[in-house]
Amino acid sequence: MKITDARIFPYPAGDSTVARMAIEAGELGFDSLVAIGDVGHQSFQGVEILQGTIITAQSIREVLRDLRDPAVRRADVVYVDAGDLPFNRALASINEVNVISKIHTTRQNAFDHVAARTAAERGVAVEISLAPLINLRGVKRQRALNRYADILALHRRYGFMLTISSAARSILDQRSVREIRGLCELFGMTGAEVNEALSSVGRIIEPFSPVGVVR
Amino acid sequence: MRPRPPAMRTKKRYILVRIIPSGATVDQKQLYLSVIEAATSLFGDAAVGLAQPAAVYCDEGYAVIRCRRGTERDIAAALATVTAVGDDRVSLRTVATSGTIRALRRRMKPIRPRPEEGEMVVGGTVYAVCRYPGQKVDLIEKGIKHQKRFFFSELDLEER
Repeated sequence: MKITDARIFPYPAGDSTVARMAIEAGELGFDSLVAIGDVGHQSFQGVEILQGTIITAQSIREVLRDLRDPAVRRADVVYVDAGDLPFNRALASINEVNVISKIHTTRQNAFDHVAARTAAERGVAVEISLAPLINLRGVKRQRALNRYADILALHRRYGFMLTISSAARSILDQRSVREIRGLCELFGMTGAEVNEALSSVGRIIEPFSPVGVVR
Repeated sequence: MRPRPPAMRTKKRYILVRIIPSGATVDQKQLYLSVIEAATSLFGDAAVGLAQPAAVYCDEGYAVIRCRRGTERDIAAALATVTAVGDDRVSLRTVATSGTIRALRRRMKPIRPRPEEGEMVVGGTVYAVCRYPGQKVDLIEKGIKHQKRFFFSELDLEER
């Protein structure tokens, strides 16, 4: 079970290089990171770096077109930013999509029980980003907490995967596993659920499959 | 005035936090205001009033935050939401929680930059190179106040 920070933005998107963020992540209790950008497969001081890519699209047709891009195909984890309800329902049914991200920016009913059931069947995860809990204040943070509590209720009922990410652009935005547990407690997530969500990237990359007979 | 008997005093807990980035100079009062702001915006006036958080020590890259016993988890969560002290961007990383400051002092290991110094140019701006243990390298913009920082590693400098 690898504890993974599901999304970071290293230099040049942020002010910290991927190597430095990996060193910090190792000290904070992580085994691997998903770095957005063309970072390739690397490992620094025992912390594995996975490559991720984000698709931001207005329609499913655009998503399907972007999924054929060679740069997207090279990525270990594909994130697609959430949108309205029909868009999210369609996203949850695409096998090539690994994670639905930025769910906290959508409306209350933009991810419903139908999308949740489809996501559980297809192995599509939903991202819980800690950036809005850390950086936002007031009504915006309250909305994010409310959305995450709603997603958590659907997760408990339908069993789709959750991922937890710091969405860090700097080592100053990275948080330890213990701090993540404290922040996730704010919307009712238990320690066991946090551990499961932190290790879900491993299950996304290598999904469970039936045992094959080798002759 | 006679002090209260020990059994009648409120029990305290002390949280040791490391101030990131290393070498950042943080004013204790500014730190207290940042912690209060973060805790109040997260839990509200009533909860923070009961928790009574206070900054009791701030030096050598570490700070000790005092709170009432039983509220330390909430205050630690609030500390994770502190993103700036005064005008400087910092992060507070919880190291340990204890009932005495003495126990926390034993956990404090000051992180000092290695003596080698240097300069580096990134995007036409001159940065001072500060090396720390663990292959960490901070690039600090040359100037008087609010210098921009980059966080690199030894490996990144070798590649450049």
